[in-house]
Amino acid sequence: MSLHLAEPRPASPVGAPEQPAIEVRGITHRYQTGRGEVLALRDINLSVAPGRFVGLVGPSGCGKSSLLMMMAGLVRPSEGQIAVRGAPITGPAPERLGVVFQEASLLPWRTALENVAFPLKLRGVPRAEREARAEQLLHLVGLKGFENRHPHELSGGMKQRVAIARGFCQDPPVLLMDEPFAALDEQTRMTLGDELLRIWEQYRKTVVFVTHGLTEAVYLCDEVVVLSGRPGEVLARIEIDLPRPRTWEVMATEHFGRLREQIWSLIRRQS
Amino acid sequence: MRARSDRRVLLAQAAAVLSFFLLWEAASRLALADPRLLPPPSIVLPKAAELLADEGFRGHLWVTVREMALAGLIAAPLGVGIGLALAESPYLGRAFKPFFHFIAAVPKSVFLPVFILLFGIGFGQKVAFGVFQAIFVLVIATAAAVAAVPEELLRLARANGATRWQIWAEIHWNAMLPLILEGLRLGMIFNIAGVIFAEMYVSRAGLGQRFSTWGESFRMPELFAGVLIAAALSIIVNETLRALERRAGAWRTA
Repeated sequence: MSLHLAEPRPASPVGAPEQPAIEVRGITHRYQTGRGEVLALRDINLSVAPGRFVGLVGPSGCGKSSLLMMMAGLVRPSEGQIAVRGAPITGPAPERLGVVFQEASLLPWRTALENVAFPLKLRGVPRAEREARAEQLLHLVGLKGFENRHPHELSGGMKQRVAIARGFCQDPPVLLMDEPFAALDEQTRMTLGDELLRIWEQYRKTVVFVTHGLTEAVYLCDEVVVLSGRPGEVLARIEIDLPRPRTWEVMATEHFGRLREQIWSLIRRQS
Repeated sequence: MRARSDRRVLLAQAAAVLSFFLLWEAASRLALADPRLLPPPSIVLPKAAELLADEGFRGHLWVTVREMALAGLIAAPLGVGIGLALAESPYLGRAFKPFFHFIAAVPKSVFLPVFILLFGIGFGQKVAFGVFQAIFVLVIATAAAVAAVPEELLRLARANGATRWQIWAEIHWNAMLPLILEGLRLGMIFNIAGVIFAEMYVSRAGLGQRFSTWGESFRMPELFAGVLIAAALSIIVNETLRALERRAGAWRTA
């Protein structure tokens, strides 16, 4: 099967400093509520190398989702800048960033195929071309034969698979995922996690993955960024040095448990 | 299985309609109700056919259909337009939406004398009153439809770089259409009621004018036949819109 996704990008030549896929510089965010101003994020600095799978965890309300929405160009930070592949983010940039939301956010009046093709439709790609591509992506996420189903005919896990396929649709170098599996049951979550890893191993996109699930974070990520409670600050960046490709057995290892414990103790002190 | 249960449902419905007419016939024949006030369907149904064959009556029917259709054609874009304006502008919505709810609650028939003073008793007055009857439910339904557009889908479209126009065409239009059609359907029911009522009140032509004349001159077979025809007319309009609504909202049924 030929999928016209970009081939894994070769590492930069030795000597040339590699340009980060995402560069977050001095992000501070405040917003107004009825009871005054809330400081949501304080001086976040973060740099993500291309091809890395980075998790973003922290106590509820620490602003991790807001930070992701800022990377997606959907929320403007009060201070600071975000650059993706060297160019600043001033608004949505679908060619550079694919976004997968917690709710699958499928258009209920469109079929699975049309949903995956939706970002390309917005860009004016002709129907035959965009649907051919959407079909390949649906096969990639294991939904061959479900092309013409509507969202109400799909299970929660299938809907999220469609949403992931849609995130890949424009072949963006960076994928932002906002608790994509939070609404799913444990078994579906594990299966989809494996699927996501399988696809990621193939295409090595840069992924920023916001989650509440610490097991999920350790299992999926190369690095987990731990944010503090409000105002959110970077508490620690924990390197997950588990070998890849990963299978579920790794969860039973002592090292996995230690990494998970390390993150949990950081978060627990916050709440 | 499905076809068999469908057939059974159909059979039950046919039986219900048949027994309705049989009971009506019996009530009249056995003088349970005064046959002079309630003529039996064996008289009313042939009378309805006779009326439909009569050119004079068809003229009246045609007047009512035109009034109703024109009122619908004016009310639909006007009501949807006002509803959109109220929903899209926070200022307009907060300032004026309550008035639409207030007036929607008032029986419109009390304004009929004012409409006669403003528009006379002809075709235009019936249309104006039909519009007036239909518009409030349409405005309210449209404003509710805008509010019902899922925020997550708007965010998704924005994240994928959709223009303002694309967001309207792809998200708002599809999400709102079934709700607006529902408002339009209810509006048309009010519209038909308004037009016929205005004709009954004072008029030179139209179904309602016939009804009040027949009622006053005690011509019950004609009156009941006319009522059946008016009922059929509104049922056809309602069912047509309901079919459109179902098609536009097929995605809503899980």
